[in-house]
Amino acid sequence: MNRSVLVVGLALVVPTLLLFTMGFVNAAKPAPKAPLVGIEAPAFSLTPSGGGAEVSLASLKGKPIVINFWATWCEPCQAEHATLHRAAEILGDRVQFLGVAFDEDPSVVDAWLKKRGSRYPTLVDPGARTTIAYGVAGVPETFFIDADGRIVSKFSGAIDPATLVARTTELFAKETP
Amino acid sequence: MSALMCVVAALSLAGSADSLDARTDALARQIRCPVCQGSSIADSPSSMAIQMKAEVREELARGLSEEEILAKLERAYGEQIRLSPKAEGFNRFLFWAPALALVTGLVAAWRVIRKGQS
Repeated sequence: MNRSVLVVGLALVVPTLLLFTMGFVNAAKPAPKAPLVGIEAPAFSLTPSGGGAEVSLASLKGKPIVINFWATWCEPCQAEHATLHRAAEILGDRVQFLGVAFDEDPSVVDAWLKKRGSRYPTLVDPGARTTIAYGVAGVPETFFIDADGRIVSKFSGAIDPATLVARTTELFAKETP
Repeated sequence: MSALMCVVAALSLAGSADSLDARTDALARQIRCPVCQGSSIADSPSSMAIQMKAEVREELARGLSEEEILAKLERAYGEQIRLSPKAEGFNRFLFWAPALALVTGLVAAWRVIRKGQS
């Protein structure tokens, strides 16, 4: 009788412990890299918030690109604004910086940028199609794309100057000679 | 006669819109809202979920299958975009583990009861 109780107990407890252990092992693993990193960036063709000709990814091929998904109502986006625009100013033509406004009225974006200053175009994304194609799970998110149009890395949250410099430098390292 | 045809056409259009809405809702229930905690894009009021649901509806209307839409979202967001993971690899074991544990428990309980009776 005691042996049977032991068998029943083990039959219930061992699989449960096994599942818990596997859960802890999985939790200890580093977070998986973003699915799009290492592959070709999704194509887009979007209009700048202030109007003008559409900007497409294809038209920018041959130059490293930094794309920042953001929104005027997002506080971390406001915090990183100066960092991104200062970097765009310093790097000039060597890197193309782009903003993509998530879920925003173009006039609101334009007014916000006029007030805060802007060194690069912010594109309007109707229906958030480009935002979804890039797998953005919240703003801000910044994508670093090499001259061949491949996503080299992605940063979630307000980017700091040191990380921005490091990630942008990676783009030049990947540049074809 | 032509009035009757108009009514039939209108009803048919309404029916297809209803069907598209129903398909959108069913598929949206399988897609995790990326900015929420464990809820689907069908249940979340967040703007991201609303935009994603609209995108799903548009792609269904364009003729993409449910699996094609899920695969497209999976390419961008990873497997976790599916609220129910695919039954592949270790997931398959996890799918069957509760049933296996139940059967094992029942067999063990049956043996204990039978031994107790004898």
